Amino acid sequence: MKVIVINNDGGGFADYQEHPDGTTVATLFDHVCPERKPADYYIRVNRHPCTSDQVLQEGDRISITPSKIEGALR
Amino acid sequence: MYLCHYAETEVGGFGITETDDLLLVTDFQLVNQVCSWAHVAFEDESVADFFDHQVDEGRTPEEFGRIWIHTHPGDSPWPSNVDEETFERVFGRADWAVMFILARGGDCYARLRYNHGPKAEFEIPVGVDYSLPFAGSDHESWEREYRQHVLPEEDLRFTLSPLAEELVSAEDLELVDDWPAGWFDEPDNNLLTEEDFYETDE
Repeated sequence: MKVIVINNDGGGFADYQEHPDGTTVATLFDHVCPERKPADYYIRVNRHPCTSDQVLQEGDRISITPSKIEGALR
Repeated sequence: MYLCHYAETEVGGFGITETDDLLLVTDFQLVNQVCSWAHVAFEDESVADFFDHQVDEGRTPEEFGRIWIHTHPGDSPWPSNVDEETFERVFGRADWAVMFILARGGDCYARLRYNHGPKAEFEIPVGVDYSLPFAGSDHESWEREYRQHVLPEEDLRFTLSPLAEELVSAEDLELVDDWPAGWFDEPDNNLLTEEDFYETDE
């Protein structure tokens, strides 16, 4: 199954990836961002919020983007 | 520079660069954010929308997701503990990233950090490349972008949920305490009588 993955970690990429049928969001996350905590990211499938056990479908677009970006004066 | 002086709040976004020079910022994009004079917090959904849009435009994350820009309304461009924590937590996993802070007083701060290979970080000089073409100032468009994406915290109370709005209204209506004592103890006081309806006809 081919899905599009958008990820800013490492070199960062937005490209097609091949994954086995039945791959869930959690499985894909572990594969793409090993040793990372999902809570530190905002994960969407086809631009919609998703659950960790959502099974991905052919052609899905998964974005793993930074979350809780904040700055302060002091 | 315009956004830094436009409002009394902090404001932040991402620098967009060219493929052949990843440190040459040619555009600055705001995302939805809540700001005060001393704090800025991006909305996660809007950051995701920004990434999706940029990918649709044909850019790669290193061209739009590595240079984090925000302003400080005061004179100091030095990063705060919150800035450092965000830079580490959010941008510390990318191969490289830049934290750029522009203070209203005109000073700025930029730090490039390599997280891959021999890790290193150092402040880098900042300049304007006047040799490049520039479309010109567009204050109207920049103001529109600010209003579209930035929610100053003082405006928050006007966008609260209906329940919260009721609470705000109740707070504003403290004059009910001035009603005569015992008013609510007299049930008849709350009832309209038939005469109330026909009073104006007489």
